Amino acid sequence: MTTEAVRVEGVSKVFDPDIQALTDVSLTVEQGEFLVVIGLSGSGKSTLLRCINRLIDPTAGRIWLFGEEITAAEGARLRALRTQIGMIFQQFNLVRRHTVMSNVLSGGLGRASLFGSLLMRYPEEERRRAVAALERVGLGGRGGSRADRLSGGQQQRVAVARALMQQPKLILADEPVASLDPALRHSVMRHIESLNRDEGMTVVCTLHDVDLVQRYATRLVALRDGKLVYEGGPSDFDADTFRDIYGADAEPATDMLLGTEGATP
Amino acid sequence: MRRLKGLVVDWVLLTLFLLMVEFLALSFSGSRGPTGLLVTPEETLDLLHYGWCAALGLLVAIAWQSLRGVRRESPGHALIFGEETDEAIPWTHTLRGWFTALLIELTFLTGWLITEVQLFDFLTQFNKATDIVRGLVAENVFALFLRNAGEVPAQSADVLHQGLVLLVQTIFLAFMATAFAIPVAFAMSFFAARNLTRTTSLSRWMYTLVRAVMNITRSVEPLVWALIFISWVGIGPFAGVLALWVHSVAALVKLYSEQIESIDHGPVEAITATGASTLQVLRYGVVPQVIPPFLSFTIYRWDINVRMSTIIGFVGGGGIGYILKPRVDLGQWGEVGTLVILIALTVWAMDIISAKIRERIV
Repeated sequence: MTTEAVRVEGVSKVFDPDIQALTDVSLTVEQGEFLVVIGLSGSGKSTLLRCINRLIDPTAGRIWLFGEEITAAEGARLRALRTQIGMIFQQFNLVRRHTVMSNVLSGGLGRASLFGSLLMRYPEEERRRAVAALERVGLGGRGGSRADRLSGGQQQRVAVARALMQQPKLILADEPVASLDPALRHSVMRHIESLNRDEGMTVVCTLHDVDLVQRYATRLVALRDGKLVYEGGPSDFDADTFRDIYGADAEPATDMLLGTEGATP
Repeated sequence: MRRLKGLVVDWVLLTLFLLMVEFLALSFSGSRGPTGLLVTPEETLDLLHYGWCAALGLLVAIAWQSLRGVRRESPGHALIFGEETDEAIPWTHTLRGWFTALLIELTFLTGWLITEVQLFDFLTQFNKATDIVRGLVAENVFALFLRNAGEVPAQSADVLHQGLVLLVQTIFLAFMATAFAIPVAFAMSFFAARNLTRTTSLSRWMYTLVRAVMNITRSVEPLVWALIFISWVGIGPFAGVLALWVHSVAALVKLYSEQIESIDHGPVEAITATGASTLQVLRYGVVPQVIPPFLSFTIYRWDINVRMSTIIGFVGGGGIGYILKPRVDLGQWGEVGTLVILIALTVWAMDIISAKIRERIV
């Protein structure tokens, strides 16, 4: 039995017309890791994440998920594999007009009966699970509110509860805190960390802030212009490697190394 | 390939330009036709040298394509390749700008002649229409205030009574047409939305097919549909319901699908990522986003259908138009006025109600 959660081999993605988003990326994510992917905007981080659960089809290359090739899966098999991958987005991507409860319940759609879910009826057990997930992220009692009435940080916690509801083995988090107030970043990151530590879910997360990287990552990879340019532990990651990855133009970002941004408790 | 597209654009524009120049030259030179009379605009259209203009247009287009530089660039080239410069150049400094301005002027002048605009008649000859206007307005409005109830001619009271009955039919006719249209348009709109039909070749085919059928359906006037359905199910309101139904489906599919195309893709991604099936993705990722605008469009469509259903009766499709048409033909303007006022009041009421409802749900 393999211990790898994700294996990416030689993945490239070209968008119409001629935008090379990823070039020959290969990497392996071990089970239980908190892998952080860094890189400038447009470096291909989001594309890489979306290739892993096939929201985007790679142009070339293969990807395995817990030993099964997801790039070869279609239809019901692909959907079954996707149920094992929870996803958290920069813009939360909640169904804004639905209630918080309904949003959390939608995490379980992959195992719900088609007819029941179209009528938005769920078994009692699923409801209990959703209530527990909401309490877990500190939103107990808010299930009846409309999703768009909540603040950004609360909405992202609903998205975490939705991922928790899905009970996946892998979490893909695409800039989960980039749209949030700096003061709220750690509250959301800690919930994602808890999915990793307490639930044993493997996490692949893209981040911008260096202090967050050093605080949460167990391992780190960096992309530049769609190519994998760095792989290492968070402690090896210093101002020099930062400049290597982000280029000399990113000089002002060294401020972040001093931890001036973000409210570290 | 792209240069060819630009060339075609220039060719079409230049040919139109030359044709309008010739049309205006012929019109203003006061040339006479075979009968010796001044030619009408329609006859002038027959006299134009279409082939020569197209050929000359092509030559000029090719010549223009060979010019480079922002100030001399052709419209087609600029349209296909985009601006070649960052600096903002006023249109008066480019050949293309002057050409476009001239083209718009020529189009307006040509339109003026072809539709035979007669501003003088419009402004001075109102008295010729006073009979009709007096019938429409005066006989009805003054009748209400100035005459005693007993003096209202029996005929008018009869029209009012008949009109009210048929008005009820008109409103329900519009309602049924809208109600039948909703489920059909709802189901079809998902196939007519570009963003949902990109994945498989089958869905791309469905998109093209649904769009094509709907465009053809929509371009056929409801009156023509009414004639078809009158032969099909016989004279009466049901033929009108069907005629408005077909037209409403086509119109709603267009409005619905454009709404679907403008949704936020995020929730669709999120629901897809949970491993949900296509139907579940539509139910959770798409439907919640489009329900309020759909309702709004549907009420607006009902509003339009009420207005249209008054006309449907002209050809026998039921509703108030059925008694309106003979009175228009006979010039019974007083009675026409009664009916028109009834229709106007209904449309007005519908407008207020639908605006209120839409305000609430959006």
